[in-house]
Amino acid sequence: MSNNIDTKQLIACQLCDALYEKPQLKQGQIVKCTRCGSTMAERKVNSIERSFYWSMAGLLLLIPAVLLPLMGVTLAGQYHHASLLDCIIALIDRGFFMIATLVFLFAIAVPTIRLLGSFYITYSFKYNKLKPSLLYFFRAFHHLDNWAMLNVFMLGIVVSMYKLLDDTELSINMGLLAFILWLISSTMAASTLDQDYIWQKLEDEFVD
Amino acid sequence: MLINTAKNNNLALCPQCHKVNVLGDAASDEKIQCVRCKGMFYQRNSRSLQYTLAWSIAALIAFIPANLYPIMIIYSLGIGEPSTILSGIGQFIDHGLYPIAIIIFTASIIVPLLKIAGLFVLVYRAHTGIRLRPDKHSKFYHLLEFLGPWSMLDVFVVALLVAVVELGFITTIAAGPAINYFTLTVIFTMIAANSFDSRLLWDKQQNSDENF
Repeated sequence: MSNNIDTKQLIACQLCDALYEKPQLKQGQIVKCTRCGSTMAERKVNSIERSFYWSMAGLLLLIPAVLLPLMGVTLAGQYHHASLLDCIIALIDRGFFMIATLVFLFAIAVPTIRLLGSFYITYSFKYNKLKPSLLYFFRAFHHLDNWAMLNVFMLGIVVSMYKLLDDTELSINMGLLAFILWLISSTMAASTLDQDYIWQKLEDEFVD
Repeated sequence: MLINTAKNNNLALCPQCHKVNVLGDAASDEKIQCVRCKGMFYQRNSRSLQYTLAWSIAALIAFIPANLYPIMIIYSLGIGEPSTILSGIGQFIDHGLYPIAIIIFTASIIVPLLKIAGLFVLVYRAHTGIRLRPDKHSKFYHLLEFLGPWSMLDVFVVALLVAVVELGFITTIAAGPAINYFTLTVIFTMIAANSFDSRLLWDKQQNSDENF
């Protein structure tokens, strides 16, 4: 066990710790672990460009998705509609501060910060404005990976529509379209972002 | 089958940036700093199984009031009708909406319980090594990790209904105390799953192979 191993030539599986020599990947190729079968690294096609435009689209859709009403109900001549933000305000009004905070975090704040993060990172790569601070930024960015729940919220919208359809007149508003597009752009922005490439490049630039 | 692992070569993989680090003189349960992302991490966190177990138990405890208290109270013409998670599913079945009933039942009852029970089993197997099948068990772990956030479904549904159905005296919907406990259950199971290190399953098998 010598200590003069060149760690740049090694790759280890995150899930089972098997160690391999790092292969040189072309765009679109993936490496799988032979022991547990999980994907260890993937060189995504045109990652920076794609992620840049998807996150830009996501940021543009952010305001309509949050502020426009998602759906409305009519019952006995009365009409009421609500947007994503109204859900949080209604929960605060009824005194459910914890739920209001968590819905805000999972459905608005975390997806927004992730979009801003991937936009900033891909912007820096696209226009060659790399800074050493990006290393810290990108590490912090990864902590949010598990906590964006837009897709779950989307299913929540579908389920509550079914619930309301039964005994009220339900109307769908523009906010729903904006929300679906926002969901698609933020999912695409996250899935096109090539983390291995970004780490590799930042390492070559700033780590001796 | 013995395979070359990072741990055997005195190397450690950074969980954040996936850089292979040289462990050097540090002990395997000592916190080290990644040369690339400067984050602190363990080669293996020796308390990983304890954390998973503790968070799973917390989730199980929070799951009890989550099912006993009403999650939603429907006021129509001034009269409140509370419903728990299970009675809400019962209403869907009464109305013949079986697909939605199945989705909610899966997301709010099966997934949390499967996660808690599954994590108990994984911790037990990783600790004792009895009938350990790392390939199967690590796939099972990833299924649990993937399913986690979907349990929030019921919370989002209640949040939406509270905001949308606001028609004064005719009908309003209020959230019930169970929603707090249920959210805690979901968050605790997610933290529990995140604290589990699937590499411990493979380590255990590797160790028992060496002994034979």
